[in-house]
Amino acid sequence: MSATSVPATGPALSKSSPLYFSGQGGDFFRLLVNGSLLQIPTLGFYRFWLITKIRRHLWSSTQVAGEPFEYTGTAKELLLGFLIAIAILTPIYLAYAILAFALEEQHALASAPLVLIMYVLAHFGVYRARRYRATRTVFRGIRFWMKGRGWAYAARAILWDVATVLTLGLALPWASASLERYRMRHTYFGTIQGDFVGTGWVLFKRSWWTWALGLAGLVGGVAVMIRTAKSSPDTVNVMGGIVTLGVLLIIVGLAPAVMAIKTRWQLEGLRFGDVAVASNLSIGAFYGTFIKLILSSLGFLLAFGLVVSLGGGMFAGIFKRSLAQASVGGFNAYTVAGGVGIALAYLVLLLGLGVIQRYFMGRGLWERAVQSLWVSNLDALDAAAAAGEPVGATGEGLADALDFSVGI
Amino acid sequence: MTGAVFYDGASARRRSVAVRVTSSSVDIEEAGTWIASWPCGRVRRRDAPEGILRLMLDGEPTLARLDILDPGLQTAIRTQCRELDGRNVGERTTRIVLWSMAAALSVVLCVIYLVPVAATRLTPLVPLSWEQHLGRAVDNQVKLLAGDKVCAGLPGAIALATLSDRLRRAAMPAAGTSDTVVDIQVLDAAVPNAIALPGGRIYLFRALLDRAESVDEIAGVLAHEMGHVRHRDGLRKLIQAGGTSYLAGLLLGDVTGGGALVLASRMLLDSAHSRDAETAADAFAGQTMTSLGRPAGAMAQLLARIERNESKIPAFLSTHPVTEQRLKALEQFVPTVQGAPLLTDEEWRALKEVCKTS
Repeated sequence: MSATSVPATGPALSKSSPLYFSGQGGDFFRLLVNGSLLQIPTLGFYRFWLITKIRRHLWSSTQVAGEPFEYTGTAKELLLGFLIAIAILTPIYLAYAILAFALEEQHALASAPLVLIMYVLAHFGVYRARRYRATRTVFRGIRFWMKGRGWAYAARAILWDVATVLTLGLALPWASASLERYRMRHTYFGTIQGDFVGTGWVLFKRSWWTWALGLAGLVGGVAVMIRTAKSSPDTVNVMGGIVTLGVLLIIVGLAPAVMAIKTRWQLEGLRFGDVAVASNLSIGAFYGTFIKLILSSLGFLLAFGLVVSLGGGMFAGIFKRSLAQASVGGFNAYTVAGGVGIALAYLVLLLGLGVIQRYFMGRGLWERAVQSLWVSNLDALDAAAAAGEPVGATGEGLADALDFSVGI
Repeated sequence: MTGAVFYDGASARRRSVAVRVTSSSVDIEEAGTWIASWPCGRVRRRDAPEGILRLMLDGEPTLARLDILDPGLQTAIRTQCRELDGRNVGERTTRIVLWSMAAALSVVLCVIYLVPVAATRLTPLVPLSWEQHLGRAVDNQVKLLAGDKVCAGLPGAIALATLSDRLRRAAMPAAGTSDTVVDIQVLDAAVPNAIALPGGRIYLFRALLDRAESVDEIAGVLAHEMGHVRHRDGLRKLIQAGGTSYLAGLLLGDVTGGGALVLASRMLLDSAHSRDAETAADAFAGQTMTSLGRPAGAMAQLLARIERNESKIPAFLSTHPVTEQRLKALEQFVPTVQGAPLLTDEEWRALKEVCKTS
């Protein structure tokens, strides 16, 4: 018989099973480093393969009662989606450019509102990207899939964005609830429809203090600035620096708490038929990961700085000649060597920071969230029958081409 | 033998099954009843956590999965089914890298060779009226950046009109006069510079006028900018920049950090190509000044003076790099017959103060 059946545990939940994350940090780190190094000779094209590997690792390491998820998407699909997105975007870009010039002729900056077109497209892409990922997610031999229309979702998302801006962020909990409801009610596991039972009010009750603190910090900062400007105008710049730093510290300090509160609320609201999810993610759960992220980034920057200054000292001669040649407009082996050296150092810096960011923000937070979860009434899934068809990755390509992050 | 779970792909039911492995197939039985036989050659491994060997059947339309939990059974399957991972994985990575490099190389070659050629070919096809529309859009941007302060103090403006009229007649004699409209204005800006926009507008920045010691110096600069207008360099640059940023931004824009890299190399590239355009505009200025009987070298002296006194921006990236070659080339234009001064002393003084008198 199966060696992985798990006895019912958890004090309040009857027949509930824990989620478990079994991935090894070392494996994931190697995967990231190899993938990032391959980005250099491929000028970034390897990102489709890297993101696919990341997802395969995370999905297959996530187990419900000993049964793992599986990611069936391929890098080729992502590449194709990206190429189709480019084909779609080219005429849009052209029309955009012509329209922009026509408007700019009337008045400078008149074309700025045109950015909205890209913004609508990006929201559309984000929804379609979620759809792609859902149809590539397999559990117990059945795929997830999604209905719903990207445009309808984009319209909702934009209206909620407007409301959020107008209310200085106060509408954000209700925006999150509304959009998550739309997403989840259009998500299916085979024949079982998903749902989302979290409400904006609950999220507001849990998180209003972070919003108040952030706003208070901002208002306080502005007030201090105005007073300084009146009483001693010569210290305005110094005070400005201190105040900006203070406000930034408040925001950075609150971010892990906000993310933990929202993640828990979002996960707890998930339903598939009678299957319910519970989470015991604490407000402080993400702080450790954030601190590790910051310390590793600083350590990496320090090491990078050391290596560059050492290397710079060794090759100072080449760089000097390269600069001298460049300043008179010359183009020869020295300028090329100097340019390539700088470009490589720059790439290593960015890719290194990218690895650290993905390791902690991608895998780290994922692990914390998964380990906090319990699923009840898992037996209800037995009734699910296969349904839904896989969809293409055009939406993901669209979001990629527009530099709009869709997450992992 | 047990220790395996089968998901048939039709329902999410978890079925505990017995699995028998032979040299030709993997046979699956549930409570003594045969369910399926998977030919060994088509059995593939799927992602699964440690301790589980997850299998699928290649070519099967459903998502049927067989999870082998028993270590002994896992070993048996690994020995019998040789193609669990399909073809060689390492080979695939090499292919990805090679194809990506080829794609990236083709984009880079397009940016370096194809886009400039395309821009040069497209430029003459753009009707002049379109270029003027475009020029007005650029003009709005320039005024936004440099401040909308056109100097039109009366005696100075008249002197400027006289000077530009003389230059235009010398620069674009008879044939070409109707198709290119040149419109010179002085902009009250503190940067010593002069620019030619698509469509024929030329802006002389007040700071450049301040630094000039003779009419010939300014006339040379204006003739140089007329060269840009005549060669439609502004339009060509715009087409080239648009094409480059489209290719680079859309295809490689998302490279982690590649964006900035592309931008930096584009700047270098643009300045390298504009150097050809500068040489051509210099030659145009040289011919124009010679035909007026005035020395083209005066302009070179003005540029060299500015370069010496306030070169904060590296010359490499500025739009008008002063090189030894350029100075020498300009000084070679020496008129055989000395022409009359382009402006009287009085007119020249008025022009110098065009920004003060309004």
